[in-house]
Amino acid sequence: MTPGPETRHDETDMELIKHWKAGDSRAATRLVGRHSQALARFAASAGERDGIDELVQDTFVRAFASIDSFRGESSLRTWLFTIERRLMLDRRRAEKRSRQTVPVQESDQVSEYGALDGLIAEEAQERVRRSLEALSPTQREVFTLRVQQGLSYKEIAEVVGSTEGAARVHYHNAIQTVKEFLKDE
Amino acid sequence: MNECIDTEIREILPDLVHGSLDGETKRRVEAHLAACDSCTEDLRVLRAVKGAAVFAPAINVDSIVRQIPPYRMTVPGVDQRKRTRMVSWLVAAGFALAVVGGGSVVMSNQSRSTATVASAVTPAPSSQAPVGSATPDSMVAMPGYAQVVVTSGSTPTLALASSADLSSLSDDDLVQLMDDMGNFDALPAAEPEPVIAVDTGESL
Repeated sequence: MTPGPETRHDETDMELIKHWKAGDSRAATRLVGRHSQALARFAASAGERDGIDELVQDTFVRAFASIDSFRGESSLRTWLFTIERRLMLDRRRAEKRSRQTVPVQESDQVSEYGALDGLIAEEAQERVRRSLEALSPTQREVFTLRVQQGLSYKEIAEVVGSTEGAARVHYHNAIQTVKEFLKDE
Repeated sequence: MNECIDTEIREILPDLVHGSLDGETKRRVEAHLAACDSCTEDLRVLRAVKGAAVFAPAINVDSIVRQIPPYRMTVPGVDQRKRTRMVSWLVAAGFALAVVGGGSVVMSNQSRSTATVASAVTPAPSSQAPVGSATPDSMVAMPGYAQVVVTSGSTPTLALASSADLSSLSDDDLVQLMDDMGNFDALPAAEPEPVIAVDTGESL
């Protein structure tokens, strides 16, 4: 592809998409770099263990292949989460739920949160992880998207295919469960 | 500890953790926290959850970018799934019209009346032949489906007609048809006597 104008660090997602459509492959690199780790963390928090990098790759390939269907009404990241979530559901259906998944587990690869590990006692982290395991899959999805990714309730509803009201209810129930779990431990 | 009843504050605490509240809202939330143990506890939990390490593999960006196909413009407003659904509907509608509007039936005139009908048939008993049937042995074919109207006579006569669309009916037939349609609602309450045994054979 013919490189286009220099992409700036402060360019929005929509601007980068426009540059990519015009033939600037560096715009695609910027977009993938900007969102790939968030997608990986979302997959991990949703219980995926194996093939997260492949899942993230598939998400981006599908997203770029149908980029014209992204109308910008929600954020690009929300749209990417929606695609990734569908891929995770397809994967689970295909494997007939026989695949081994763990809610949150250390991987052998480098974690983006490596630096943060030193700030929080390992035992406290483990308790938090176990509290998330106590949630239902939907509650865990909503709760982690809200608390770890900072999505709004409207964006969460879009990702999980629910309503904003339901997302708020799931959040309230989830934080109650997590609080009770951490209090009992 | 009783839970805070201020739902709005509780729901936006994650935004405080992410630093995405505007100045005024942030001040309002912080003022609330100063007086609310429940929300203070919520905030502590949220910070712990956000800070908890979610171990995810490092992603190779260049590897992903190499897999991305070049941009191809798609038809705006109609994505492939919608297009496929529209085509499926059109095919189904066309098939239904072909079956309903184009089915033909085999005529038989036997004492033991059996008939093989190529399409769905609704038999009507001789005693309840639609009022307005012009003459015995007449028959009316309802457009859209093969309608059996039993004719009168000493022996049961099965009169079947190939269904035809409206354009093939004469003016007189159309008038007759409209008259007969007007009597359709006046169906007998009792189970009509079976006049013919129709072996429909295959289903649509």
